[in-house]
Amino acid sequence: MVFFLFVPIISKSNVTCRLHISYIQQALASHIRWAIFMESLTEAAIEAALKTGASFADVRIENTTTTIIEITDGVSKRSMASHLKGAGIRAFIDGAWAFAQTTDLTTTGMRDTGISVAKLALATHEKVSDHFEIDGPTFTGKHKASVKTHFDDVSIEEKIAFVKSIDDQARLYDSRIINTKTIYGDLWSELFIANSLGTSIYIENSLPIIVSVPTAKDGASRQRAHLSIGSKGGYETMEKEGPQQIGESAAKRAIELLSSVSAKGGTYDVILNPILNGVMVHEAFGHACEADNWPAHTTVLEDKIGKSVGPEHLNISDDPTLKGLRGTFEYDWEGTKTVKRHLVNDGILTDLLHSLETSSRLGMPPNGAARAQSFMHSPLPRMSNTFMEPGDWDVDEMIADTKEGLMLCDFNYGYTNTAKGQFMFQAKHGYLITNGEIGQMVRDVSIAGNILEILSKIDAIGNDLELDAGTCGKSGQYIPDNAGGPHTRILQVPVGGM
Amino acid sequence: MTNLLEIASRATKKAEDFGADQAEVYVSSQRAFTIDVENNSIKSAVEQRDSGCGIRTVVGKKIGFAYVTTLDETDIIEMARKSVALATASLPDPHFKSLPSFSEQYPRVDGLYDKDVAELSSEDAAGLVVRAVDATKESISDTQFAIEASITSSATDRAIVNSLGISQTAQSTFMMLYSRPTIKTNDHQLSSFEYQVSRHLNAIDPEWIGNTAAKNVLRTMGPKIVEGGDLPVLLSPLAVGTILGGGFAGAIDAEEVQYGRSYISDAFGSKIGSENLHIIDDGLLEGGTGSRPFDGEGYPSQRTEILSDGVLKNLLHNSYTANKDGVANTGNASRPSYTGIPSISSSNFVISPGKGTLDDLISEIDKGIYCKNTGDRPNMTTGDLSAMVMEGFYIERGEIKYPVKNTLIGINMRDLLQRIHRIGADTRATFSIVSPSLVVESAKITSG
Repeated sequence: MVFFLFVPIISKSNVTCRLHISYIQQALASHIRWAIFMESLTEAAIEAALKTGASFADVRIENTTTTIIEITDGVSKRSMASHLKGAGIRAFIDGAWAFAQTTDLTTTGMRDTGISVAKLALATHEKVSDHFEIDGPTFTGKHKASVKTHFDDVSIEEKIAFVKSIDDQARLYDSRIINTKTIYGDLWSELFIANSLGTSIYIENSLPIIVSVPTAKDGASRQRAHLSIGSKGGYETMEKEGPQQIGESAAKRAIELLSSVSAKGGTYDVILNPILNGVMVHEAFGHACEADNWPAHTTVLEDKIGKSVGPEHLNISDDPTLKGLRGTFEYDWEGTKTVKRHLVNDGILTDLLHSLETSSRLGMPPNGAARAQSFMHSPLPRMSNTFMEPGDWDVDEMIADTKEGLMLCDFNYGYTNTAKGQFMFQAKHGYLITNGEIGQMVRDVSIAGNILEILSKIDAIGNDLELDAGTCGKSGQYIPDNAGGPHTRILQVPVGGM
Repeated sequence: MTNLLEIASRATKKAEDFGADQAEVYVSSQRAFTIDVENNSIKSAVEQRDSGCGIRTVVGKKIGFAYVTTLDETDIIEMARKSVALATASLPDPHFKSLPSFSEQYPRVDGLYDKDVAELSSEDAAGLVVRAVDATKESISDTQFAIEASITSSATDRAIVNSLGISQTAQSTFMMLYSRPTIKTNDHQLSSFEYQVSRHLNAIDPEWIGNTAAKNVLRTMGPKIVEGGDLPVLLSPLAVGTILGGGFAGAIDAEEVQYGRSYISDAFGSKIGSENLHIIDDGLLEGGTGSRPFDGEGYPSQRTEILSDGVLKNLLHNSYTANKDGVANTGNASRPSYTGIPSISSSNFVISPGKGTLDDLISEIDKGIYCKNTGDRPNMTTGDLSAMVMEGFYIERGEIKYPVKNTLIGINMRDLLQRIHRIGADTRATFSIVSPSLVVESAKITSG
């Protein structure tokens, strides 16, 4: 089932497959030797696939290590390491794709998988009715992660001590904190990508994250806060103030929520804070811009390229080239160099998110938006760092200008159905606005709407900008990304209440 | 199979050699095959072979875990070493007693493996998905349409071994087929879907899936917003699967309750649901997609009464939470594969049927909402649920009037459980639940 979901970075059930991270002790310490070795492997698979009859083939070889440390109430709940290594191989013939993966990283293993995946593509080819070719520019290059302290240079004891200190911080904040949960994760990944057009790319990725989830209780009221900070970089990013204070910040939020009330359902003028605006941009627009929706006819934006989709002061971008964010990457999972995508320019839909397939089929330039969760999956057009560009409203003036309404902040989750144009997202908390002033705190406020209707209701865009890390799910693949924007006011949206 | 058991057994010994007081090794090997249809035509085929090994080790009251995505002996030894190192560095858990042990007869669960699924050829899989697409086309051929569809079949072998004598293997198969038509009308683009999941090939009916998907999408034509207020809500089995299968089964997870993080934390033994409501968690259901002879720790599966006449009878336990509360293990340890430590989840969450068809339930509602599908779950700590009606209808005077759009249902789960005043007999299995349609007497509807 195609289902798009945007969730905060770690939730109970999804952590294992998402945050593959690292202590690396590879015998293949020399990157140069590794690269030569990888090149011979990818060549073996690609040659075998082409000989068998494929017109295009590509390979991703991945070597990823992860660490996850979870402490609850001062006690270790999870101390976990993983090692992912293998190759994903695709073969293509005249509109038909096949994909398979192997963990047998030998020349023979790669050649055999190359042959079998090409055979599968040939068999599939007999049944396709939409014929096209894959073409695109080729890239060669190496991108090393910019890391000061590698995860494997920090002992497991030190990482556990850090998580323990955050867990203690949350618990000691207030006696009404009845449970604390703190999770640290790091992922170190090396990816070698090659295709039959001549692309050959080596990239590294280094993603740390810290999450604090305290629960507060006062009488019958029970509330839980969830804060996470994730970035791209080494262990040094955890030494900044935000991560070091996250336990206290999360506990403070949980205590504040104790005195919140459920919002009354109805139609409101709503100000979204930057983080929630990011979720709206992601759910209500970004997914519908993924170009695989065009050949599939599964987006309500299908006829909107070059046309107005929102007010003239609206600009929405997806930019994988921003520095130091979880959704940042130099080359995508097909080896295409990434560029900033101006999805909406002055209210006009101008760009989409492309893989090599969609750029070939739609006759648009590729922009490096193909991503895969791991070597076990086939790349799909996905978002990176998605945000609304700032406007000219001062945020305080925007609030003062709002007679009756709601200010909604941060997010629990959101999802969308691009074919119907339906979406919903849920704010963690918010505040009533009365006569231009912020008042009573409310919680778990949901907004539902239609992609083609919501953007035209945006009447004020703030001059600030903030992005927040998240994890995005599509077709069963979960990837790290960022979303954000300025404070933004939307008129007359349905808000769910209890 | 014997091979997996051998690998697990050797890895357990290795971990003990490295200094583990207790070790547990979970090894699985899965082959999955998927064919995807885009815009009415087959486009791609995927063959996945996923094998790996997860090793949990105990040193004193400290626990470590490591996994690798291969079954290579060198990799596994490396992970055993790493797991013990992680355990050694961890903070002790005073409530941890032991990994589970069990030496009696395991239950037999029939219908979990179908050779026809395990050996399904790519041609036959393609044939099935094409039949579903053709059946979808039949009733929407005079509209502008695009059908997305997919078939997946998988076969999994797994083995689990621990230092206390648990040594079990199992084989299972799984199939899913769905069709998702999108149609364009002058003023709307509409989309719906239908699917079946089963462990058996012969339970998959491509024509039914296709016909129903087409009927579903045609029925969503001309959606409107509705006047909000407090209205009865009829939940289809799909919606029940999300709201109760996710939102209630997760709340009776003993770990969440022990930590005080669940909205039913203070409710054990009390009447939390309407007296019509009977729920069991049935890990032994013949052919159930959640059935298994043993859980994620190798402990035998069982039937556990959850709600009886609305009274909360049991929570879902694994060995850790059962030891902590000094109660019996319900065999609900779950793990997605070798990639995770056991957490807790329901197996087959079965809601007992009442009486009447879907039409009977609709005919009894004067004014209300029929929620056919939603993607929302409650806040598990407060129980507040705010759910978008992904596909649903307005009911007036016992009849479906029109599809709804931009409509949200708001209710706290504790109220929802108490207000289930009518239960149908139209039972259906979805991913997470076996349930008929349910009627919630009243919830807050917002639309606009």
